[in-house]
Amino acid sequence: MTRRHLLSIPFLRAAAMGAVLNKPHHTPRAKRVIYLFQSGGPSQMELFDYKPRLRDFANQELPDSVRMGQRLTGMSATQSTFPVVPSKFTFEQRGQSGAWVSELLPHTAKIADELTFIKSLHTEAINHDPAVTFLMTGSQIAGRPSMGAWLSYGLGAETEDLPAFVVMISPGQGGGGQPLYDRLWGSGFLPTRYQGVKFRSVGSPVLYLNNPPEYSREDRRNYLDALGQLNKIKLDQTGDPEITTRIAQYEMAFRMQASVPELTDLSKEPQSTFDLYGPDARKPGTFAANCLLARRLAERGVRFIQLYHRDWDHHGGLPKGLPSRCRETDQPAAALVTDLKQRGMLDDTLVVWGGEFGRTVYCQGRLTKDDYGRDHHPRCFTVWLAGGGVKRGLTIGETDDYGYNITRDPIHVHDLQATILHTLGIDHTRLTYKYMGRYFRLTDVHGNVVKQVLA
Amino acid sequence: MTSSKRIILAILLAAAHAHAVEFNRDIRPILSDRCFACHGPDNANRQANLRLDVESAAKAKAILPGQPAQSPLYQRLITENKALRMPPAYRGHDPLPSHQIALIKQWIEAGAPWEKHWSFITPQKSSLPATSNPAWVRNPIDSFILARLDREQLKPSPEANKATLLRRLTLDLTGLPPTPAESEAFLNDSSPNAYEKQVDRLLHSPRYAERMAIRWLEAARYADTNGYQSDGVRSMWRWRDWVLDAFRTNMPFDKFTVEQIAGDLLPNATLSQKIASGFHRNHRTNAEGGIVEEEFRSEYVADRVETTATVWLGLTLGCTRCHDHKYDPFTQKEFYQLFAFFNNTPDRGLVYNFGNEEPHIPAPTAEQAARLAEFDKIQHSRESEWARLQPAIAKEQRKFEKRTQIHRNSSLPQHWRPKDAHSVTPQLDVKFDYMDPFTFEAWITPKAPNGVILTKSEDYWEGEGHQFFLHEGKLRLHITRRFTDISLRLETETRVQLNQRQHVAITYDGYRKGAGVHIYIDGKPQPIKILFDELTYPLGPKQPWRIGTGLGPKYEFQGTITAPHVYKYALTPEQVSTLPNEQTLGELAATKFAKRTQAQQNKLRLAFLDQHAPQHIKEAEAALVKARAERRKYFESIPTVMIMADNPTPRETHVLRRGAYDAPGEKVTAAVPAALPAFLQNEPNNRLGLARWLVDRRNPLTARVTVNRYWQMLFGTGLVKTAEDFGAQGEWPIHQQLIDWLAVDFMESGWDIRKIIRTIVTSNTYRQASTVTPALLQKDPENRLHARGPRIRLSAEMIRDQALAASGLLVEKFGGPSVKPYQPEGLWQELSGGKYVPDTGEGLYRRSLYTYWKRTIAPPYMINFDSPTRETCYVRETRTNTPLQALNLMNDPTFLDASKKLAERVQNEPGAPRDRLQRAFQLILGRPPQPAELDVLQTAFHKLGEDYAKVASLLLNLDETVTKE
Repeated sequence: MTRRHLLSIPFLRAAAMGAVLNKPHHTPRAKRVIYLFQSGGPSQMELFDYKPRLRDFANQELPDSVRMGQRLTGMSATQSTFPVVPSKFTFEQRGQSGAWVSELLPHTAKIADELTFIKSLHTEAINHDPAVTFLMTGSQIAGRPSMGAWLSYGLGAETEDLPAFVVMISPGQGGGGQPLYDRLWGSGFLPTRYQGVKFRSVGSPVLYLNNPPEYSREDRRNYLDALGQLNKIKLDQTGDPEITTRIAQYEMAFRMQASVPELTDLSKEPQSTFDLYGPDARKPGTFAANCLLARRLAERGVRFIQLYHRDWDHHGGLPKGLPSRCRETDQPAAALVTDLKQRGMLDDTLVVWGGEFGRTVYCQGRLTKDDYGRDHHPRCFTVWLAGGGVKRGLTIGETDDYGYNITRDPIHVHDLQATILHTLGIDHTRLTYKYMGRYFRLTDVHGNVVKQVLA
Repeated sequence: MTSSKRIILAILLAAAHAHAVEFNRDIRPILSDRCFACHGPDNANRQANLRLDVESAAKAKAILPGQPAQSPLYQRLITENKALRMPPAYRGHDPLPSHQIALIKQWIEAGAPWEKHWSFITPQKSSLPATSNPAWVRNPIDSFILARLDREQLKPSPEANKATLLRRLTLDLTGLPPTPAESEAFLNDSSPNAYEKQVDRLLHSPRYAERMAIRWLEAARYADTNGYQSDGVRSMWRWRDWVLDAFRTNMPFDKFTVEQIAGDLLPNATLSQKIASGFHRNHRTNAEGGIVEEEFRSEYVADRVETTATVWLGLTLGCTRCHDHKYDPFTQKEFYQLFAFFNNTPDRGLVYNFGNEEPHIPAPTAEQAARLAEFDKIQHSRESEWARLQPAIAKEQRKFEKRTQIHRNSSLPQHWRPKDAHSVTPQLDVKFDYMDPFTFEAWITPKAPNGVILTKSEDYWEGEGHQFFLHEGKLRLHITRRFTDISLRLETETRVQLNQRQHVAITYDGYRKGAGVHIYIDGKPQPIKILFDELTYPLGPKQPWRIGTGLGPKYEFQGTITAPHVYKYALTPEQVSTLPNEQTLGELAATKFAKRTQAQQNKLRLAFLDQHAPQHIKEAEAALVKARAERRKYFESIPTVMIMADNPTPRETHVLRRGAYDAPGEKVTAAVPAALPAFLQNEPNNRLGLARWLVDRRNPLTARVTVNRYWQMLFGTGLVKTAEDFGAQGEWPIHQQLIDWLAVDFMESGWDIRKIIRTIVTSNTYRQASTVTPALLQKDPENRLHARGPRIRLSAEMIRDQALAASGLLVEKFGGPSVKPYQPEGLWQELSGGKYVPDTGEGLYRRSLYTYWKRTIAPPYMINFDSPTRETCYVRETRTNTPLQALNLMNDPTFLDASKKLAERVQNEPGAPRDRLQRAFQLILGRPPQPAELDVLQTAFHKLGEDYAKVASLLLNLDETVTKE
């Protein structure tokens, strides 16, 4: 049966907001997630996975004993040579934990003790579309619900004025970057009410939110009053509980027309906020502005907040492109963690930073004195987690001297997904939806919670 | 299944439980859902070597008929010992609920009778059950429905009032609301068959085809783009129009099936049948640079298998891609036997980012075919005229030659080369992208075997752009977007002469393929070896022209290059042959005819025709050139469509272990699963045979699955709710005799779609009022028993189309290329960088069926209202009710335009505001408002500044407006 028939029954109101779970499977440590997705595959080689010996191997051919027949993308598979290229940027150990963080991320470096770095994440896909789809839906092929849709299906929202799952996108200033796709926040075979709602920096912050200019707020109120009365007449005559739901949804739409502009209006934020997040936070649509909005959404009870920052796909021109992506994201991401902490919200907010795969140790394309590029690398990449239920100042996983293979504690994408759900009190094997005869879940038939990261 | 759903199912089944337990209805669903995953068809993962999906195996080890206490199956369900209890607690499984345990006990006590899974048994028409009220029974549907209601002690609802009924019927059959005139005609028609007349009128409207088509497009994952990453454009609308025509002409479903699965394989396949086969080219295709081709080619084939299984068989064969099915009797090997039917097409894994991938064909509409024939006719007549003129031309040319020879030093032009040659300089402002034809030519005297002749590229070997150069003495062309995978590279098999002056030329026809390139030395074509043939993407940077350089220091040209020219078209071999000839026309003319080379002859003739021929010859030539160019231009404007085709030599198919493209296992050949009827004798073992097998009378699934979708379309939920799954995990039909009767009737009618829909909508079951009582809501919230008519929200396209129709904005035009109505600005830019430019004029107001569908960023309006994304096959209709839908209907420009247009319509009507409000209400809802409703409207009208557009918008947002009652 569809859920709609439950909606009119008051004691099932929670179900109407999407919570299929009456209570969590275990005590949650986090109430919400802010996922800072860096689209395109940020280079772990330049940012986190420090490999001092690469200077010795520079320009040498990547040994077959390291590559071990690993498949490559069609972009570099036909290259005649695979010269090792060390990071052009320096690393330092940071904070008490001594985590290695690149000079490109000075702000992240300062909060290193708040973070858990996973250097041994690995994935199955080697191209953007399948890899991002895999990370967000647990399957490389389109059609499955996204992580946020699973959460809003499982847990619902903590608010009646805003959606449970919000997405915000910022372009890299280097140009477009890799495309994104609606399916990354889509509901797949779950009912579409669970899909992510995109908050936008141009036009209406939510599609169709703004009334046309000829409507005052009072007009809209009068309009909705009349609409409600007419729908009520219909309800009395037909008895269809779906009408009750519709009346309620129009009222929620009206509330959103007030709550969303209030949310996106940053004018009341003090100067100290902008000092923290950086000047970009005043420019709508930047990663910095979105980080600030993410905090405001978290404060208002949104369950899953996902930011997409584009243009990390540095096949060539890495020494120029990567620093500018870092400049756009480093300060705001660190500020968000700091801000949440200052407000006492970091304890129950899980923040995740990372892309869909890593980048190769060998150079793709032309290697010159000033320029190089790196191809996609699925075998290892680095993400960091902070807050809600995860340890602080921890580094998990190791890779070999080339940063090519994992030598310790491999963590699969499905493991990361299982772990994120775990912090929210969800057993990833038990949040399921029956479709095509099968009980589907975010982690397919795989995934183990990474116990080491749990606080 | 949530607990609330279980409760409702239990209520529905309660009456049944008073009767005997039925294996298919009561037991198999429990065993399947709770036991088969470990004790079912999947060989590899079977636990304790016990299977409960096969009667003999289950009874040998776990069930002693008649004796539950002695049956391990039952013992293990009820044991207190958690370590022994099934399903196992240690794997996190809950115990079976007590009512299910009771059912299993009752069933074993009754001897544990087994049945083949219901949907694998050939359907039969059972005799019609007796009912309490034969007068209510209009056709067999009503017998089955009423008999069940009798058992539940329910009564059917009265017939819906005429206005409601006509609106329901019109929306259901055409996707649009009735016009006031249509309503009035029906209300005034008191003949006994008034309703049936309406049914027939609507079923024969082209709008019926449009309404039927959209659900099929969703099942067929039809879209206007490729669907991965950059999501480039493709053109499949001619296939979509084939679907429209098929519904318009009521093509029988068996033919509809055969042509779409295998139209290309039919003997003497017509254009229309080939277009139909595009069904299985509608899947997503990937153009992302760097993908492993075979990985995605396998994906496409798997998609065809899974889509075929879902749409025709209602089977979830996707499960068997990686392992044997966990619930149904299908093996992984059988998946790849089906895979083999679809694995023989020549299409590639990495496709063009823009435009159709091979194989594709020109697919003119009837109108276009007629116009093309006119162009052909003109061209033929110009050609015959030209042929007729040849003796005259020869004569005139001889006169010209004499003149030229005599007046060698006169004012007559002495030099000639083909038109529009651009001399190359670094400032030359001529651009070429990957689909622009060109010719390059130059004189070279090389001193070394490596050296650049002409480049317009980045300055290194792998650089992006065009490069024409010498490599080990061979003439070589690179057109590169990205060297490793998006590039065209080829070279001559022959070598140039070092230290000699010679003429070189290269032409490219602009069709992205190495086969379209010709290279000439001294005007003679050279054999070419294609090295890399993947020019699939436009070029980026603007590079200057360079002569003799542009490939890095190693390829600086040594020697001399003179007179480099480029042309923005591909010269013909005849034209190229004249380029090395440096003689004046006078010199050529002075050469005796018999002694002239072909090149000399060509040059004289081309120069004569170009510059010196008498007016009437020039005109005839110009007319011929024009006719050819116009014909070609028109031909190229004709849409193409991707179709299926089979390679002459079948590609080998292997079981793919874990479904992975790079893990081939056992070799298999095409075959159908053993649990289903055998393949037909005397049919070819290819897609055509498969298609005929799908619609063979012995196939137990196709007809059931198809009529079930029609039932779903009309009642909101199928007789089997899991429209995509008729297997053990699917829903057991509450009305099995009814679905079987419909399936058999459908086949007996010759798969007549219009007839089966007519049967359903003329039943009394369909014609009931949809009013709900609390008791009915309690007993049957989803209306599965059909004690009332359907009351469900309209589908996405209907809501928009209705607003356009009611307001008078709708532009009705059957078929044609997709259109771009309004969508909020910036949606494409923020995700992928492209720009959505809405149409102006009629494209804004066509039916939503025709809206351009970009798969990765689908029309937001459609998705808000639960439309499938068209990324994969989807056959279940779902409906949600969200605040985003409210915002969408209130503030989307399309609906605001419709409100304004409606306001205009009523404002100009005579009468008081109240009359006009009444009129607006009538236009949208097809009925007059009740006084109380009109009072509310009138009050709102005053409060809203007496703005009719605001009231019209309000009316478009009413629950009743977006609901089929």
